[in-house]
Amino acid sequence: MRATSPLRLNASARVPSVIPSDRPDGPAADAAQTPPAVRPPALPRRLHSLRRGGISVLILSVMWGALTGWQLEAVIFGAPAVFLAAALPWMLPASPGWRLSLRGMLIFGVWFTVQSVRGAVDVTLRALSPDMGLRPAFCAYPLALPAGAPQITFINTITLLPGTLSAEVVDDTVIVHMLDARIDPAPGLADLEYRIRLLFALSPNPEHLS
Amino acid sequence: MAEVIAAVLMTAGTVFFIAGTVGLLRFPDIYCRLHALTKADGLGLALIALGTALLAGSAGAVFRIALIWFFVAVASATCSHLVARHARQTGTEVQHG
Repeated sequence: MRATSPLRLNASARVPSVIPSDRPDGPAADAAQTPPAVRPPALPRRLHSLRRGGISVLILSVMWGALTGWQLEAVIFGAPAVFLAAALPWMLPASPGWRLSLRGMLIFGVWFTVQSVRGAVDVTLRALSPDMGLRPAFCAYPLALPAGAPQITFINTITLLPGTLSAEVVDDTVIVHMLDARIDPAPGLADLEYRIRLLFALSPNPEHLS
Repeated sequence: MAEVIAAVLMTAGTVFFIAGTVGLLRFPDIYCRLHALTKADGLGLALIALGTALLAGSAGAVFRIALIWFFVAVASATCSHLVARHARQTGTEVQHG
């Protein structure tokens, strides 16, 4: 993709100035990510990865505590599990860092709710109607989002949009399965991509704004 | 009042689960069936979780329900992608009609 490399530069250039507000709120596996190798060191790298580990331990501990109702006995299993999970990012290949925008999260949350209701109602009506109105087909859509969390969120959310399902990723292209080929999926996918840029505080991609 | 709203939400959730199952049985190929499962069951679970959360006695229980919904939603989208990818790579036929 032509657009990928300049956008990635933009994204990593923005990260150091906003490190204090960098609070991953994602699932456990994503909550702890090591910083990318290319990031200019605003903090010494060792200190930075220790800080990331500390945040992971904190988030995972709160999750464990809430799940077990803050019972003291649960710490016997909880403490090793929390530290093992927090140590996982050091064993996996480094993935690009990311941050979430609070405003983007609110906008995305509301939009995501509406779209998943639309998607479910659409598929329900088709399943219950005598003639299901299916015209299945595949289409290819180029991935323009930076690799890592934004791309994974994009691919997973495609499946919840009305009529589309992400079937495969081939190089820089996602193969989308459509229930009804008469409906062009491209505008919806470009809209989703734009909202994920807002969610991850990435600069908007002018190619898809038109 | 909370009980009535919770009952309505859970009933609606069940309708979506049934529709997902009907889609699973009626849709012509594996890809279309995945649409039915991920979308209809996803909303069905969300509605039932919302209804259960309304009746839950404590903030901890609501948090647990929200976590369950979140992880099931992520797992369902990821699994459907993996099933579809496997189907494509092993050359499963696409049915038209």
